[in-house]
Parts: sequence; C-alpha cells; structure tokens
Amino acid sequence: MAHRNFVAKFALLLTALALLVGGLVAAPAKAAAPVTINIWTFGNVIEPKMKKLYEKLHPNVKIVTVNKGGPDQLAQALIVAFQAHRTPDIAAIETSWSGLFRDYPSNFVDLRQAPYNANKLKKDYVDWRWAQGTGKGGEVIGLPTDVGGLEVAYRVDLFKQAGFPTQRDAVARMWPTWDKFIEVGKNYNKKMKRCVDKLKTKSCFIDSSGTLFTALLNQGTEKFYKGPGQVDYQNRQVRNAFNQTGKALVAGIGSRVAPYTGDWYAGMNKGSFATLLAPAWQLDYIKQYAPATKGKWDVAQVPGGGGNIGGSQLTIPKAAVNKAEAWKFLSWYLAPAQQLTVFKEYGLFPSAKSLYSTSAVKNYKDPFFRNAPIGKIYASGALKLKPLYEGPKERAIMSIYGQALGRIEAKKQNTSQAWNQAVADIKTALNR
Amino acid sequence: MSTAGLAIDSTAPVAPKVKKNKASRHKKMSPLSYVFLVVIAFASFFPFYWMFVVASSTSDVIAQTPPSVVPGHNFWNEVKAVFEVVPFGRNMLNTLIVCLSVAAAQVFFSSIAGFAFAKLRFRGKKALILFIIGTMMLPSQLGLVPMFLLLSKLNWIDELKALIVPALVTAFGVFWMRQVIDAQIPNELLEAASIDGASIPRIYRSMIVPAILPSAFVLGLFSFLASWNDYLMPLLVLQSPDKFTLQVAISQLNTKAYGMDYNIVMAGSFMATAPLLILFVFVGRRLVTGVMDGAVKG
Amino acid sequence: MTRDSTPSPKGRRGTRVSKSTNPWKSSNQGNNGMNRAENWWSQLFISPFFVMFIIFGFLPIAYSVYLAFFRWEPLDSSQTFIGLENFRNLWHDPIFWQSTRNTFSIWFFSTIPQMALALGLASILRNPRLRFRLLWQTIFLVPNITSVVAVAVVFGQLFGRDYGLINYVLHIFGVANINWQETTLASHVAIATMITWRWVGYNSLIFLASMNAIPNDLYESASLDGASRMQQFRYVTLPQLRNTITFMLIVGTIGGLQVFAEPATFGGNLSGGSSGQFSTLTLYLFRNVQEYTAYGYAAAVGIGITIIVLIISAINFALTRRIASEDTKK
Repeated sequence: MAHRNFVAKFALLLTALALLVGGLVAAPAKAAAPVTINIWTFGNVIEPKMKKLYEKLHPNVKIVTVNKGGPDQLAQALIVAFQAHRTPDIAAIETSWSGLFRDYPSNFVDLRQAPYNANKLKKDYVDWRWAQGTGKGGEVIGLPTDVGGLEVAYRVDLFKQAGFPTQRDAVARMWPTWDKFIEVGKNYNKKMKRCVDKLKTKSCFIDSSGTLFTALLNQGTEKFYKGPGQVDYQNRQVRNAFNQTGKALVAGIGSRVAPYTGDWYAGMNKGSFATLLAPAWQLDYIKQYAPATKGKWDVAQVPGGGGNIGGSQLTIPKAAVNKAEAWKFLSWYLAPAQQLTVFKEYGLFPSAKSLYSTSAVKNYKDPFFRNAPIGKIYASGALKLKPLYEGPKERAIMSIYGQALGRIEAKKQNTSQAWNQAVADIKTALNR
Repeated sequence: MSTAGLAIDSTAPVAPKVKKNKASRHKKMSPLSYVFLVVIAFASFFPFYWMFVVASSTSDVIAQTPPSVVPGHNFWNEVKAVFEVVPFGRNMLNTLIVCLSVAAAQVFFSSIAGFAFAKLRFRGKKALILFIIGTMMLPSQLGLVPMFLLLSKLNWIDELKALIVPALVTAFGVFWMRQVIDAQIPNELLEAASIDGASIPRIYRSMIVPAILPSAFVLGLFSFLASWNDYLMPLLVLQSPDKFTLQVAISQLNTKAYGMDYNIVMAGSFMATAPLLILFVFVGRRLVTGVMDGAVKG
Repeated sequence: MTRDSTPSPKGRRGTRVSKSTNPWKSSNQGNNGMNRAENWWSQLFISPFFVMFIIFGFLPIAYSVYLAFFRWEPLDSSQTFIGLENFRNLWHDPIFWQSTRNTFSIWFFSTIPQMALALGLASILRNPRLRFRLLWQTIFLVPNITSVVAVAVVFGQLFGRDYGLINYVLHIFGVANINWQETTLASHVAIATMITWRWVGYNSLIFLASMNAIPNDLYESASLDGASRMQQFRYVTLPQLRNTITFMLIVGTIGGLQVFAEPATFGGNLSGGSSGQFSTLTLYLFRNVQEYTAYGYAAAVGIGITIIVLIISAINFALTRRIASEDTKK
C-alpha cells in the first residue's frame, strides 16, 4: 500500500515537474503583446541609437519620442497634459524645472513603490542629481540622466599671448577662488588690451560674466528655498553670488556676448573670449561650431571645484498608460551600463557615480581639447556638489536675477541698485 | 461706406477705345520703380536664401564672419537626416490637408457672412459686426490652455480635426469680405436683380461670387498661410509623429537642448517652405490673372 | 417668401419681392420693415461664424476671463478666489505699462513704413507694363512663409552686435557697432524692421486687389482733365482706397498691438531685455504663463490687452471716420 502511495505521489510530482518545466519552456515561445511607449523629450535626452538598441532587444516594444521643442515648451505641455489627464508614459524634465514639479509629486508615479523599488538604485547615482528627482515628501518622481557639470574651457594660445601659464593644473592654481578668477580676468584684459567692442581682434577674458552667477549658486548648500514652501531668495549665499558676479561685470572681464547667439559662435572662432564656463555637453558645441580651433582649447578646474548647468530627470506621470514597460525602459536607459555607452558615443557625462572610477571615464581624454582628461575633471567636479532644495518659482526668480545682472552689464544700474530692483520684482512676481 | 454711385458693368464688352486710353495712362515703368522693386525683392528673398545656405553647409557656417553667402555641399545629407527623424512626407500631407480645408472653409463661411453683413438687413447687424471686430482684439495666447482642455474633452487630441474645426471661421475673413463686397458690388445691381425675382442664394451664387473671386483667392491664400505657419496649437495638440504638421515636425529636428542644431533645422524649414513657393507659381498664375481681371474690365 | 396683400410682380422662381420691401431700393434704405426671407437668409449666413465662435472662440476665452478672478495653481488644480486683486495688481504693475508703451512704440515704427511700402509696391505692381509680375509677387510673399525659427536665426545674425551683417555694413559708413538689444530705441527699430519685413508683401497684395477694383473710367476722366500720374494717385487712387486703408489700419492695429514672435525671437527669451526695454504686451502675457506659471494673473493681463486694443481701435476708427467725413465735405 505504501509502495503504491509512493508511486502515486512520485507520479504526481513528476507530472507537476513536467508541467512546470513545460510551462517554463512554453512561456518564452508565447509572443509578448506589442507595446508602444510614448516619451516626451527635448534636445538629445533620449539618444536615437539607444532607442533603436532597446527596440532590438525587445521586439514587441515600440518607442515613440516626441520632441516638444525645448525644455520650457515641454514643461508647459506637461502642465497642460496633467490637467487633461493625457500624459506620455515618460516625460523628461529639465533641472531648472525640477523645482516646480518636485513640489507637486502627486502628478507622478512614486517610483519608491513596488514594482519599481527605485530606492534600490539610489546608491548608483550622484546624490545631488538624485535629489533633483525627489519630491517634497521624499517621493522619487524621476531618475537622473546626465550631469551637466561645470569646468573652465580656456584658449591656450590666448593665455600664452597674455603671458599666463598654459598647463591645465597650473591654470587651475591661478584661480582657487572666484575673487582670484576675476583678478586673472582683469589681468588678461590689461595685458591684451583687446577687450574693446570696436576691435576686429576683440578679445576679452570670458564670454559672459553672468555665467558666474549660476556657477556660484550651485556650489552652495542653499539656493532660493530653505525647504518645501519656504522661499528665501535673499539669503546670504544668493547675495554673495550676486555681488561676486556683479564684481566681474563691473570689472568688464566679459565680452558681453550671450551664449547661443550668432556673436557667441563667431566669438568662439575668433577668440573674442579666452574662457568659458562649460558644462560637459557644451564642449560639443565648441567642437561643432569652431572646428578650426581644434587643439587650441584645454579644460581646467573651475574655482570652487565643481558646478552644474543642465541635465534632466526621466519621470513617469501618474496618468501614463504603460507604466510597467515605461519603467523597464527608463531603468535600463539610465542604468550605469547604458550611461557609459551614451558617454562614449555622445559625450553626455553620466550621473551614475559608480562609473567615475571605471577606466572608461577616468582615462577618457579628448584630443580636441589637447587630450584633457575630461572624464576625470568632470567626475571630480560632480562629486563636490551637494543637494540643493529647488522650489516651484525657481525659473521666475532666476529669470529676474538674470535681467538684473544684464542691467549691471549694460551699465544701466550698479550692483546694489540692480539687486534692489530684482528683489522688488521677485516679490511682485511671487505674489501673483 | 457708400460706393458713390459707381456703375461697374461687368458684362459690357471691352471696346478697343478703352485699351488705347489704358495704355496711355500706364506709362512706361520708370527706372526708379525697378530699383524699388529690386531692393524690396532682395530684402524679401535674402533670408530665405540664407536659410538654404545654412541648410546646405556644415555647422561652422553659422560662426563665420562675414557670413558666408555661398551654399555648401551638404544639402542632401541634411535632407536624409530630416527624413530619419520625422516622416516628413506624411507631415507635409497632413499640413496640406489642414491648410486646404481651413482655407476653403474660411473663404466660404467668410463670404456668406460678409455678404450678409454688407448687403442684407437683419436685426442687430451693427452690434454683431462690432462684436466680430471685437473678437479680433482678444490675444490668441489667452485661449491656448483652455482650448487644449476643450479639445481634450472632445477627444480630438492628436487628431487633425482639432486643428481644422476651430479654424473653420475667422473674424478677419468676415470683416475683409464684408468690406470687399460693400466696395465692389453696388446696391443698384442687387436691386435690379431682386426686382427680377432672384432669390438671395441665387444672388449670392451668380452675382457676388464672380465679383469677389480675386479677393476670395487672396483671403484663401492668407488663410492657407496662417494655417501653414501655426505653431503653438499644433505643438500642444498633436502627439504622434505621423500626425504632425510641418511646423511641429521642424521642432523635432533640434537635438540640442540649448541653442540649436542649425543645419538640420534650417534644412527642415527650407523643405517646408520651398514647396509653397512652387505652389504659388502654379496657383499664382490664377491669382494674378484673377486680380488683373478687375483692371481690364474697367 | 413674402405674403403681401398688394399685388406684386411675380418673380421667376415664385419669390415675391414687393417694391415696398425691396432691400436694395435706395428709397427703402431707411425702412425698418424687413423682408422675412432676407432675415432668414441673413441668420443662416452668419450662423456658422457665430456657432463656431461660441464654441471655439468664446468658451476658451470665457474660461480665461473666469480664471482672472482666481489665483490658480494648475499642478494641483487648486483655485483661490481673489476677486479683483489680479486687476488691482495689473493697474499698479510697472512692467505692464512699460510693455504697453513698448508695444505702441514698436507699432508706430512698423505700421507707417509697412503701409507706405505696401502702397508703393502695389501701385507699381498694378502697372500692366510690368513684366514677370508673378515672379515679383511670389518673392514679396516669401517673408510671410519663412518659418519663425528661420527668421530668428537670420535676424539674430543680422542684428548681432559684434559680427552681425547690419553692423558690418554700417561700419563701412563709419557708424560704430550698435548694440541692437541693449537700448530701447535700437531694439524697437530692429523689431519694427522684422515686422515690416514680414508683412510688406502681404499688405501689398491686399492693396493691389483693392486697387484693381477701381474702375478705369475714373482714371480716364482724370487724365482727360490733364492730371499727372502723381495727381491721379492722390486724387483718384487714395480716396478710392480709403476703405481699404481704414480696414488695414484696424487690422494692422489689432495685429500690431499683439506682436509676439518678433520680440520673443529677438531677445531669445521672454524677458524683453534686461530692463524690459522691448517687452511687449503679449510677450509679458506669455511670460506670466510660462515662466511665472501665474495663470490667473496672465488672464488678467490678457483682458488688459483686450481693453487697450479696444480703446485704440475705437480712437482709430473715430479718427479715420472724421477724416473721411471731412473729405466728403470738400
């Protein structure tokens, strides 16, 4: 009897096993349902080669990327989309808008929850970039894409003419602080005597002194908000950043050319400015628009060690249709392995800090910039920054301060007049 | 706005005598006139030409000083690149569908409404025409977000009809047609026709329409162009690449997050604009002869 | 269909139109009695406009007007009723009034050249002795079809301070580099140039269409009286074009007071210059929407713009009416 029971049980077990194995073997043969992931993006946040690669790896997935025209237009479209409850599956949010969206995390999927469990990935990324995707209640609404970073791209030939050192470490030693940076700038103008608008051979120290403001702001621990709902745009750090930039503007070390204008691209070629505060992705602009200056540029560390402009988070809006598939793509695209590929292929500096110690990043040298160790320089800069709370009216405040600095540059007001007007203007704008 | 008793007899045969006087009125073109034409033509065309220069060159052309005015050799590469990013042919078709529908509808609805305002009497006419002019004073940006929400409620998002239906009528068109009909069709003619027993739709069809054809063409052209250039609303409303119109397609081309990828964007703009010029050459003939007809029938 | 007790001539299609209610008979012009058919057809003909406008024009605007009485946070759909506070703030907003002044200034600099050049072009284009007319007309319309993006790039280069083409040419004549963005006057002239460039060809077509409707008899009798071409232009063409010019001024005013694309592309952002020197009304509206995300206030700005346009258009209309009636008195 026991023997029969045993045989029966064994047969049952075998059958169960057979079914299980059979099921496992059969499952992959079952075609997964076709899925379309809709992504709203801007610029080159989603690189086309990576998109094609993912589609090859997952033949049932089609990725449709829609370029909304720019980071501002995308933010606008997203706000409207939230109200209409018609959103894409993934939306890219540029860092200057992260302040706004982080204050309203209910519009996004909280990626801490299962099945996303984003907190497991937190350690892979630079903490201040991770913080830019964290909502005011600690929700994880997005993962970071790249790090803009900030270092100084300088013209070796012009430095030589001005009698400055040209080797990048020596150059960085010239300006350990921003005060020293401004001094170097004044020296440059004094030595070269070419920072005059009329001159065909015009050459000033930096393209636009206003860029110091962003650099200085992002190097601190507090920007315009103390915390959620606590706006504080006149704090000491902001005031210092403003005054310091004011000093540079009054000293006239800049060529007063706004970035991304015709004069700026021409200026790159003609040496109208000897330095520029460059995020990693901006180095590409120099390569593309001033190819004739190859080998004339190098990259040195920025005063204060590091800085940041740009970057974005990839988020999943609450009203997304294909959340699970979206997460699969998002987490794959932003995983360290893929960020490394993007870096090698497109030059976007990774936010996955585990990559910083890999040889691919550490030893990366760019021949255009005299074989400067771009990877090492930007990595060390990225590690120096601290998380900053950014709030909803970030853009408005930045824009008004930007105008104030423009007035100082145009000699319409002095630093304290510009500051006072800016503060009044911000108060009014915030009251709307 | 009286027409001061003009009698336009559009059915009178053109007598040779008229031709001789016409020739003497229009003297030879003075060289000054030609200079004026050339200067304005140059200023009008140069930016378009320069668009092609940038589209056909490599990136550094934007940085050259003085700016290069010679086209490069890169045009077909850029064209290929454009087609890789967006289904450009499909986008052009979408734009044609939208623009033609809008132009035809605007001309038709404006002409009947304009006719009513110009020549028919009805209660509240004065107030209504002022209301229509008043609607032109509302800034369009004001209604952008609510319009999107409305279209979303109608489930028209990502459909071409979201661009066509709201644009079927236009205050400018009504105002323009009213003014044209008022100026070009004397009351005496209409009086005679109605004495003969013609009904209002008949009058519209056989008298108004032929007389306003040139102006209707001009309005159609303008409506077409306005629809072609429309950017803000399509960018919000259209979500899939194969529904895009040309302006939205062009904004897909920029892969620089800050600043612009000049060559490919200019190539896309050029590809979106050049067909219009070709269209003008064909349709324009009709336009010119239509417009000149008015002069001959003096 | 009229049912008239007095015998009336029967129309071909059986529509009876009695003499006493013939709408176009001059002696009936002041008559309040209306032909019922006429009334019905009128309503039919104007209803498409009004139906579409109510749905797609009025409703969105009404919602925006409603918003103007609230402080609106779109991202959590919270609305706080604040009554007239937005309007009070608007009244005291120096940037709003600065934008108004800028808008008028730019309008002034662009409208007059636009109209003058368009008139000149049209009078040349209507000459039947002109050859290649189609070619000219097509070229003059090119600015209107050039995309905004391309205009931004081209004019951005042209008006560059250091390396722009315009400054390059001015340099040859000994003029120092003008910083087009920086000063109020230069920025207004630059923007006005961009606007004029875009609309001259378009406006010339409208003038041309109207000019061609002027019957030749008038010119014949004028030339028989010995009038020169200039005099014919002044005493025949211009008066006949009065209606068109009025129309163009009204439309041009309304459009000009809402200029947006040119100031936005000129500055590259929505600020309208470091001291708002070329901020226009619709640019400021858009800035409130996009940068400040102050939707309620933006709606108030929109209403402010509408009121200003209304007032200016009314003044415009009254003035041209005055000039017209003075003319006929002569």
